[in-house]
Amino acid sequence: MPSEIITLQLGQCGNQIGFEFWKRLCLEHGISPSGVLEEFATDGMDRKDVFFYQADDDHYIPRAVLLDLEPRVINTIMTSAYSKLYNPENVYLSKHGGGAGNNWASGYSQGDKLQEEIFDIIDREADGSDSLEGFVLCHSIAGGTGSGMGSFLMERLADRYPKKLIQTYSVFPNQDEISDVVVQPYNSMLTLRRLTTAADSVVVLDNTALNRIACDRLHIQNPTFTQINTLVSTIMSVSTTTLRYPSYMNNNLIGLTAPLIPTPQLHFLMTGYTPLTSDANLSNHHNPLSSHQAVNVRKTTVLDVMRRLLQPKNMMVSTGPDKTNHHCYISILNIIQGEVDPTQVHKSLQRIRERKLAQFIPWGPTSIQVALSRSSPYVQSSHRVSGLMLANHTSICSLFERTLNQYDKLRKRGAFLDQFRREDIFKDDLNELDESREIVDGLVQEYEAATRTDYLQFSANRRGAKAEGAGDTKSEDTKSLNSADL
Amino acid sequence: MAHAATSKTDPVRIVLANLIAESQTPYTPEKILREFRATVDKRRPDRELLSLLESISCKRPNYREVLAEITSTLERKDPMYALLVFAERINDDAMWPLKYGSSSNLSHPASQKNVESPAPLLDAATHRSSSSLLQVEEQPTNASGDHARNSQLDLSTSTPVTHRKSDESLGLATVPVTTAIATYARRPVPSEPIVPRGDLSVIKKRVLNAVSNSTALTMGSIDQLLNSSSSKASNRSAGNNAVASNAASARSGVTYNLDSSPGSSPCNSHRSGMSIAISTGTSNGGNSSRAPSSRATSSGYRPLSNVFLERCSLNNNNNNKYLVGCKDGLPDEYRTHLLWDYYKVEPPNPMPKPELAALPPDAQQRLLLTEIIYCLSGVRGNYIVALPHDELSLGLAKYETRFSVHVHLDKSLAEMVHEILPLASHFMGIQKVIALTDGNGQVNNALNAALQNITHDFYMLLQQAEVEMLKNDLTVPKLLYYLQPTIWVIDEIWTTLAELDMHDYHGAAVLSHLCDRIKHLEGDKYAQELIIGLARKAAEPYMRMLQLWIQKGIIVDSTHEFLVEDNEVIHKDELPEHYSDDYWEKRYTVRTECIPTFLEKYADKILRTGKYLNVIRQCGKRVMPTQQMNLEFDPTSELHVHVINDAYYFAARMLLDVLLTENDLMGHLQSVKRYLLLNQGDFTMQFMDACEDELAKNVDLVLPMTLENLLGLTLRLSSARSDPYKDDLHCELLTYDLVTQMSKIMNQKEEYWKTTDRLDLSGLECFAFTYEVKWPVSLVLNHIAITKYQMLFRQLFYCKHVERQLCKIWKENSIAKKFSPHAAELYRSAFTLRQRMMNAVQNLEYYMMIEIIEPNWHIFIEKMKNVENVDMVLSLHQDFLDLCLKNCMLTETSHLNRAIFKLCKICLKFCEFIQRSQRFFLDAELKSMVCDSSDENTDLSDSEPDISDRRQSESTLDETDTFAERVKRFDLEFTGMLISFLKQINDLAKDNTADRFMNLVHRINFNGFYSEQMEKLCVKNAMG
Repeated sequence: MPSEIITLQLGQCGNQIGFEFWKRLCLEHGISPSGVLEEFATDGMDRKDVFFYQADDDHYIPRAVLLDLEPRVINTIMTSAYSKLYNPENVYLSKHGGGAGNNWASGYSQGDKLQEEIFDIIDREADGSDSLEGFVLCHSIAGGTGSGMGSFLMERLADRYPKKLIQTYSVFPNQDEISDVVVQPYNSMLTLRRLTTAADSVVVLDNTALNRIACDRLHIQNPTFTQINTLVSTIMSVSTTTLRYPSYMNNNLIGLTAPLIPTPQLHFLMTGYTPLTSDANLSNHHNPLSSHQAVNVRKTTVLDVMRRLLQPKNMMVSTGPDKTNHHCYISILNIIQGEVDPTQVHKSLQRIRERKLAQFIPWGPTSIQVALSRSSPYVQSSHRVSGLMLANHTSICSLFERTLNQYDKLRKRGAFLDQFRREDIFKDDLNELDESREIVDGLVQEYEAATRTDYLQFSANRRGAKAEGAGDTKSEDTKSLNSADL
Repeated sequence: MAHAATSKTDPVRIVLANLIAESQTPYTPEKILREFRATVDKRRPDRELLSLLESISCKRPNYREVLAEITSTLERKDPMYALLVFAERINDDAMWPLKYGSSSNLSHPASQKNVESPAPLLDAATHRSSSSLLQVEEQPTNASGDHARNSQLDLSTSTPVTHRKSDESLGLATVPVTTAIATYARRPVPSEPIVPRGDLSVIKKRVLNAVSNSTALTMGSIDQLLNSSSSKASNRSAGNNAVASNAASARSGVTYNLDSSPGSSPCNSHRSGMSIAISTGTSNGGNSSRAPSSRATSSGYRPLSNVFLERCSLNNNNNNKYLVGCKDGLPDEYRTHLLWDYYKVEPPNPMPKPELAALPPDAQQRLLLTEIIYCLSGVRGNYIVALPHDELSLGLAKYETRFSVHVHLDKSLAEMVHEILPLASHFMGIQKVIALTDGNGQVNNALNAALQNITHDFYMLLQQAEVEMLKNDLTVPKLLYYLQPTIWVIDEIWTTLAELDMHDYHGAAVLSHLCDRIKHLEGDKYAQELIIGLARKAAEPYMRMLQLWIQKGIIVDSTHEFLVEDNEVIHKDELPEHYSDDYWEKRYTVRTECIPTFLEKYADKILRTGKYLNVIRQCGKRVMPTQQMNLEFDPTSELHVHVINDAYYFAARMLLDVLLTENDLMGHLQSVKRYLLLNQGDFTMQFMDACEDELAKNVDLVLPMTLENLLGLTLRLSSARSDPYKDDLHCELLTYDLVTQMSKIMNQKEEYWKTTDRLDLSGLECFAFTYEVKWPVSLVLNHIAITKYQMLFRQLFYCKHVERQLCKIWKENSIAKKFSPHAAELYRSAFTLRQRMMNAVQNLEYYMMIEIIEPNWHIFIEKMKNVENVDMVLSLHQDFLDLCLKNCMLTETSHLNRAIFKLCKICLKFCEFIQRSQRFFLDAELKSMVCDSSDENTDLSDSEPDISDRRQSESTLDETDTFAERVKRFDLEFTGMLISFLKQINDLAKDNTADRFMNLVHRINFNGFYSEQMEKLCVKNAMG
């Protein structure tokens, strides 16, 4: 009765990061690309059945559903060495193969049309597990399939499996480069609405930050998707390590996420990882940066790792400069792997507390939870200690604000709305877009409110446009609501 | 033999003869004696007797004083006694010896018959006089006037030393000293009054005396003696008839008695010195007096056998015998050890010994040498007389014998005698201690055996001295010179032994004492070596036991002397439930009083060595010591230490191997940690999932079988399936919750009866895992350890359960994300309260697991890598558990664990409340959402039905409370309790900074959220 998790990979991006994720999991659990358990891994104390199921004694198959509306990425996967890993029945390709054309509405509509076939697969997977804990969705929010069909699936899953957790690894578009997808703000806005209302937790993977890290920290001039996706797969595998190598705490998805998310709306998590430099050196053996390596020979302590994790440069989310310096952590979970002296943990916590290295919310108790996790014995890491941070930070709303701004710009002009109107959901009006904006705006307001002590009395204000003096109106609202409540 | 000299040899007669010669009176000594010896009716009046004496002694200067004394004596005592006193007093004249010497030469030419050369004349005379003196001493006892005395005297006096010498050279040279001893030992002829007591050993002694006397005396004297004694004895004996049949052979009769007497003594080893001497003396006596003995056959030995038989038949009257035995003032042990101890056979003899002063120094020396050798072998002498023991003397004096040396002894000789006498005293002291301590444990026996060798050596020395003496090569200075080293040594041994007996040491204490002495004698190499030898011998049985114990783990200790005690009460086959708990501590224990000093440092090691071996054996393994070293105690070397260490390391290593390698202790501990300390989190969660319904029931309704089945299922489905020890895990439903268990342990009062209402307890509160292991792992994972694990488990499990419930409502509440932002606000207080609870509970878990259990486990594992023995394993494991318990707030009395329990309770109540209200507000909100999407201005109307809905739902809880109010009340209750809990820890931490509790406060209050409230509480408390 393991707490199984079904992974749904949607669209180009979702399938690519999913592919990297499974590659990584196979490596860690000693499963060959064809799904056969390697001989050296037969007696492991790991827990493979959260993500895999056994077809026979030594044949492991991922609990993964691969969905796409165009065949390119899935074909690449199915011609790779890992083609035999997946259950072919779980790979769904739209028959016409035309894709969603980077159109959220198209993806959403196609999802609606294909839902029977898709849910046949999902239901079968769900029935095949003893005690399904939830779904993990891999997708990007900017494209068509991942965002549109992903949004549709999330809504349906929430209805169909109300007791199951829905977690997503959502890739946010790179803000630094001009996207070739012009309707990206619309797509993002519409997906964000579903992420807010349908998903239980969203791990935000910001392409802006990932690219920056690849360039600045890993010294890759023009990082490819594969390189970026390796980063993503690392995040994904480490964040599930407490599920796969169980220890005292955080042994199921709910135990992992529930402490991080105090109120249902504030469920957007950012991640950080360290060390990243050595990884680059490993992948760039030709690069004669031995001196750089020598610098990093220094022993890494738990405190070092935890301190580095609190630095913005190691965050996988680019939140932009916090001018007012009011953003704060709602919660933090550090998953630390490697040769850790358990006696060091509390000292590190004490140090961070004393030096006030992190700013926390004022309206509730919170702390840095540290989970010491075993790591795979089959993957040789060059680092003695590595750490992943899963954090709920209020500054994540800057991402949404950015999207709101871009959306507002487009929406004001009413640009590129024709392709949306073509689809059923926008046939009558564009209310869907406005509602989405409203919800995302409410989310931004709630995150902003979470930085203040009166968060408990906060009530979102419906704002047509970005309101600067939100605080004032809110306090009035609060009063009126209080009186109403009484 | 020379009959003529007989009358002159009697000292009284000599004295009388001298006096008659001096006074020229018409008496003969015989006539005077007859006058004095006559019976009361025929005797002359005292006055006439006095005048008779006056007439012969008038030439003496001191005759008036003497006669005055005699007059008074005559009034009270027997005239014969008066005569003896008279003879003595008259002889006291200082001038007397010279006169006597010359006069004896002149006036008794008959004595020259014995003289072969002028030189030995004095010698012979001395001997004659000494032997005749002895006869005189006997006289009062034999005064009933038996005629055999003459012949006896004949024999004794007519066997001159010189003559005997030739005898020895003929064929008895092998036993010269024993002959001599026998010769001189004839003195303690038992007096008649003793005979009727009928004590076997007394009679035996008498027989021995008699037999030994027979070398010098005729067998006739024995006849006479035995006749007289047996006549008394046979008066009481009804078995007189048996006499004839037993009298068949006298010779064999004698030997029979001799053989049987040592044989009847409990310790054969003790016969070596003395009894050999006596038995050879007997054979010698047989040789030298064949004719008289054969003559005496039919009459002489019959009564003896008779007496002996009688004794046998009277064996039933043991009490009587012992009573009698005590009366003569001689401890039983002396008898069984044939210890003479200057035994007084007769009352102090006031018989004058006039000769000594009269003898020239040479003759004195000769006489003295014999006396000294007597004295050294414990036989009562004439001139060196043992003073009676002072019963009240304390300390060493108790083991000392004081002697009085005859005053007339030459000063120069006396000085030397005084130097030798301590040797006799000490030697006798040693013999006494041997006799007293015999059979008092193995160590004492071994020591006594060793001492017996020394005794034997000592007798050999005496024997050599006597040979010298008989060759006339010995002088007192020479003897002193010979004995000088022995004096020292015997003195040391005596001191040692006296202290032993004084403190009633036995077993190890003896060895300790010997070691002490060895250290003491650091400067005296010879004595030290001797004591070392003794110690080594004495330690032999002890070391044998030790060897058996440390190499095989067996205790053979019938005398309870060994330092390890086996307290086994039960057999391993019928192991009771908690056998292992007690085994380690109680099965084998050290008797502190049984540890010799040289093993003191190793006592613990020794105990453990054997204990380990026993455990190994109980595991069904054969103990095969690699080395079979002989364990011997040597005070000079530390050899035994090496052997002990080797054996210890061997046993420790082997048991450790058995425990760690063969029985995979660490694997078991890992398993225990995995399940009982929730290290295998996924298993815990799965088990909770599986058993949730069952454990939610009342404890009386929980079916243990169901739990057990679910456990088995979970074990096989979770990642625990690869654990080889998963089947050792079982479920246990205790009859009390953790708090009750705690207070039970803390107070051991009946308090828990108040708190425990079994009806109220859920299965969850009573549930615990238990881990069953087999011997020998159960040594470490014993009942106590498992109980400690269980306590930790219950707290962790309960917290985990609370966390799970909170997670559950988190998931259910997450539906609220769909709510309109306004509606969500209503529930935010509930969500944040839930989050605070989650924070507290999770931090408590993190604290216990990550900060306490895991680091301590880490330390434990690190230490276990260098572990040397099982005791270390046990103590490390115990330390680990105790540290965990303490820091998990399960030991202290401040009821922190109660606070935890209460906090958990509130959380659970809150979860219950939220779950109950959930469906009502869920329906309402979803309805409102539907409206919301269509109509935007229904904020108030949305919440209105919602509240009314809630009202309906909460009617079960509280009629008047709204949802918000209920949440608020939960909030207040929880926060209040948490704050006071944190404050309590704070206060504790002030007193004891070593504890980790403070870390929990820091964790829960990481961002200072509770600081203000805690301060408020502090202020409030300060204000009163």
